[in-house]
Amino acid sequence: MIDILRLLLDFVALYSIYLILSVSLNLEYGYTGIPNFGKVLFFAGGAFVVGAVTARMLAPLAGVSLADYKLRNVVVSSQVTSFLSSNPLLSMGVLFSMLVLGALVGAILGWIASYPAIRLREDYLGMTLVVAGEIMRRIALNYDPLICGTLGVAVPSPYSFLRGITLDVFRTGFMFGVAMLVWYLAERLAHSPFGRLLRAVRDNELAAEALGKDVVKVRAIALVVGSGMAGLAGALYAFYTGVVHPNDCVPIRTFVVWVMVIIGGAGNNTGAALGSLIYLGVEKIIAIAKYYVHGIPFEINYVSYIALGIALILLLMFKPEGLVPERPPQIRSRSEAGES
Amino acid sequence: MLPVEVIIDAITFSNLLALLALGLTLTYLTLKVPNFAHGDLVAAGVYVAFSLHKLCGIHPYLAIPVAFLVCGAISLASYLLVYRPLWRRGAGIVTLMIASIAVEIVLRSGLHIYADVLSSHLKTFTRGFSFAWLDWSVEMYGRTLTFVVIASTCTLMAVTISLYLFLSKTRFGTAMRAAIENPSLASSLGINVDLVYAVSWFLAGALAGVAGVFLPFRMPSDPEVGWEMLLRTFTASILGGLESLMGAILGGLLTGFAEVLGIYVLSKPPVSLSTAYRPAISCALFIMVLLVAPGGITSLDWRRVLRWRRK
Repeated sequence: MIDILRLLLDFVALYSIYLILSVSLNLEYGYTGIPNFGKVLFFAGGAFVVGAVTARMLAPLAGVSLADYKLRNVVVSSQVTSFLSSNPLLSMGVLFSMLVLGALVGAILGWIASYPAIRLREDYLGMTLVVAGEIMRRIALNYDPLICGTLGVAVPSPYSFLRGITLDVFRTGFMFGVAMLVWYLAERLAHSPFGRLLRAVRDNELAAEALGKDVVKVRAIALVVGSGMAGLAGALYAFYTGVVHPNDCVPIRTFVVWVMVIIGGAGNNTGAALGSLIYLGVEKIIAIAKYYVHGIPFEINYVSYIALGIALILLLMFKPEGLVPERPPQIRSRSEAGES
Repeated sequence: MLPVEVIIDAITFSNLLALLALGLTLTYLTLKVPNFAHGDLVAAGVYVAFSLHKLCGIHPYLAIPVAFLVCGAISLASYLLVYRPLWRRGAGIVTLMIASIAVEIVLRSGLHIYADVLSSHLKTFTRGFSFAWLDWSVEMYGRTLTFVVIASTCTLMAVTISLYLFLSKTRFGTAMRAAIENPSLASSLGINVDLVYAVSWFLAGALAGVAGVFLPFRMPSDPEVGWEMLLRTFTASILGGLESLMGAILGGLLTGFAEVLGIYVLSKPPVSLSTAYRPAISCALFIMVLLVAPGGITSLDWRRVLRWRRK
């Protein structure tokens, strides 16, 4: 019984992370038309900063030595965790401030990425962002002071003041709450005048410009906000798994988010939410099925990747608008608007 | 002074990159979309050579024609089954790019499964293998050269010359250039644009397959090798301007040399960078090219550059 509960909690926690990522990609691609093929770069920004800073920042407070941090990072992290477990208030403070820092780092990276994103054509931009994500991973793998290189770094748990199943319930509830908050904000943004401006830039850049809108600035804002969300997702992920490794941030993570947005339908947040639910559901079922199927001479995960790729191609061919097509925004007549 | 070994290594590596960039540019010229699945055709070539060697005992060099045909066929199939239907439905660049990433994932996972099955069938390692011990060595100017340098250089030269003759001297080659330059005008003049595009995709895959046979002589290979080569190929093609075949060859050579010689120089005392940063060099070069000369080397007006330097 408890196993099913834990399975569900794990699912919801992962779902929260992917929900934030797909909502952010939807903001960039679905609403604004920026094909961000480097989502993992901004996700990595959030995750790496949490991995690099948290334990180092708290170690002096907890009275833990930072000597030889690269090899002892797991020890340091567990000592800091036990220090945090007696300080609920400090834990929550650390959690919130690191999430804000993660989002900030993501946003700054997004601001940097907006330089090429505004100037390049889609094909060049796609290649640039993929390459930039790869540079980031290479540096993290080889530059030890960042997140201990190929060893990866352990992240102290800010949830450790709770015990047993309460911890899992609280952690998942917190993550889901953050995801819902992001979803709500994105939804508000999409239905605001600024959301209409985003769609105008996507549909007809020239017309938007002719109406006196600053297209460059609008696209930059969309990218900064979207990347901030991705950074937040990365920070949540780092605290959830308790370990950050450069190879968590491989390009396929970007692709998974793309699949979610395309399945659900670009240009509306309901689609993004539904798409990530379907994708994660299928992935979990395959992961569970793996334990019941024996005698296959290869790793079943690859089959799920192949299924994913084929499903995506078929979807692009036969239902490019996704399961939940974008609806035209509601327009109220002038008299109606006057009455309300 | 650079040791000769480093230069020889750079030559081999650049030849492979040039072959890859040539293929990527060929496909880019048709649909104007960067093919993210191009790298996996290299990995497919690697596994064609590996399987023929393990299963039939054929020397990898003799597997080149087979790799040429198999990888060409895979590339052609991906064009006929995925890109062309999407293109005919009026899909934009972004849709085609997503589709090519999907093809990439399918191919890479397929190769992983193939490697797993092969490994359980043969009871040996099917990842991280190398052909270096199979290579012949040649005595030249008092030095022992590995045959792969000569073979890859000859291949690249033969490909370059035959491609040039094909495009400029034959009727089909002229039709091909016309179809790439202006598809609608070419098709109204009775050129079969469809056939031209299909040939381009076949050739691109075939060249990648040939590069794949040479690759394990140079470095240990596994199904992920395609993705690693892809990013370098992007650099090479961008450096060559993405729209010029001769530029692609030049870009491939320059990228290869920049990476091999660059890491050799940077890993020496004044900088002492870890050699693990090697792939980052071509990535950094990519960003630099976009900042300095986004149209690639072929778009530069050399007279202006020289005048600017004289000032």
